[in-house]
Amino acid sequence: MVKEIERAGFPVAHICTVTPISMTVGANRIIPAIAIPHPLGNPALDKDEEKALRRKIVMNALNALQTDIDGQKVFEG
Amino acid sequence: MRLELGKINITDIQFAEESKIDNGVLYVNAEELKPLVLEDEKIKDVYFDIARPGESVRITPVKDVIEPRVKVEGKGGVFPGWIAKVDTVGSGKTYALKGMAVVTAGKIVGFQEGIIDMTGLGAEYTPFSKTLNLVMVCEPIEGVKQHDYEPAVRKAGFRVAARIGELARELVPDETVVYETQTFKEGIDKYPDLPRVGYVCMLQSQGLLHDTYVYGVDVKQIIPTIISPTEVMDGAIVSGNCVSACDKNPTYVHQNNPVVEDLFAQHGKTLNFVSMIITNENVYLADKQRSSDMTAKICRMLDLDGVIITQEGFGNPDTDLIMNCKKIEAEGIKTVIVTDEYAGRDGKSQSLADADVAANAVVTGGNANQLVILPKLDKVIGTLDYVNVIAGASDHTLREDGSLEVELQVITGATNETGFGRLSAR
Repeated sequence: MVKEIERAGFPVAHICTVTPISMTVGANRIIPAIAIPHPLGNPALDKDEEKALRRKIVMNALNALQTDIDGQKVFEG
Repeated sequence: MRLELGKINITDIQFAEESKIDNGVLYVNAEELKPLVLEDEKIKDVYFDIARPGESVRITPVKDVIEPRVKVEGKGGVFPGWIAKVDTVGSGKTYALKGMAVVTAGKIVGFQEGIIDMTGLGAEYTPFSKTLNLVMVCEPIEGVKQHDYEPAVRKAGFRVAARIGELARELVPDETVVYETQTFKEGIDKYPDLPRVGYVCMLQSQGLLHDTYVYGVDVKQIIPTIISPTEVMDGAIVSGNCVSACDKNPTYVHQNNPVVEDLFAQHGKTLNFVSMIITNENVYLADKQRSSDMTAKICRMLDLDGVIITQEGFGNPDTDLIMNCKKIEAEGIKTVIVTDEYAGRDGKSQSLADADVAANAVVTGGNANQLVILPKLDKVIGTLDYVNVIAGASDHTLREDGSLEVELQVITGATNETGFGRLSAR
């Protein structure tokens, strides 16, 4: 999916937990997620903390989309 | 460590008034075993049944498969942390009932439980069509949570297996095999010219009913460590897994790990089997990094020349596998990985979710997506209620004529990644 959308000319930020797989499959802008069962959140946190965490991940992804890169990059955020 | 494993060959199982082993026949009084299972208030009811090789019987949904054993000499007892206290096991003398297994089955725990067919095409794929199976079909109480029910059935299986193993305590084994590893210094002195080989055994620990336990400890919480393979023979590692049936390691596979068996067969001849190393497959990237770093470090500290790595499960554990392989190879140690494939029903897709050039020696247990039609069998032990929803099945699985259209994924042990299954490829 990541590669096909990029082939069509759109930059893609791939949010995923296992960043090495994302590297292997050839994503360019890689955003580390939290864990495989809950990539975009953390049920151990309370609501406000989790909202902040989610916002951080999304902002990191939006930032990555606007960043020029010259190869595969993991945006640690 | 030195363990004498006495093998008692079981040639049949029959229900009887008195539980005993006589002349190779296991007689079981099911009424005696029942209270042992019902000790756990999460289990409402249980019944026992027997499935023999060649019979027209399908067992499903299968949770665990366990070989009854009893410790007759040496420290500790079988299944430390569950049945016995946590004393270190793996030395002395243990008896195993060969040719049979205790199978836990019944109402579903997760959605990834399996099928064992005793005849037909399915029987060719599962190694447990060759064992006499004492099946315990459990029924949970109303409203029980899955994560409460899974340990209830798991532990009940160990209690039954240990009780049956106990019947062998006073018997004379048909055959005895001695497994012995040396300490590191002894090994170097004894086999100075043999390559030092280790075995990295990856244990499923993704959580949410995908778990394994070592001496009662949840493997998610361990950092990689060394263990004597003889400890594992005494039940130090047990399965708590409801992961896809084809490539999970039931407790039986840990007790009879074929990689361990083959390494022992070559120990002192073509190689020096230095140690078994256990590691996990967690769902946080930091855990994957830490565990693979530690595993590679241990291999280096043991001065290994070669390592066999086996995986359990598939998907994100493919990354743990590749990280282990890459990092161990980076230490200058040769690796062979043993895995299976999810290459699509036509076999044309990428087999693993991750890959690296360091993984240049791979043994496969087969393609779990391969589609097979299992014939209708005369008898079902358990229930077909869930056969359309277990992993590897679909809405079309149960067909009008009673046959099943399934991927190999549903068959217990079909693509086992320790080589316990019957498939491979060249």
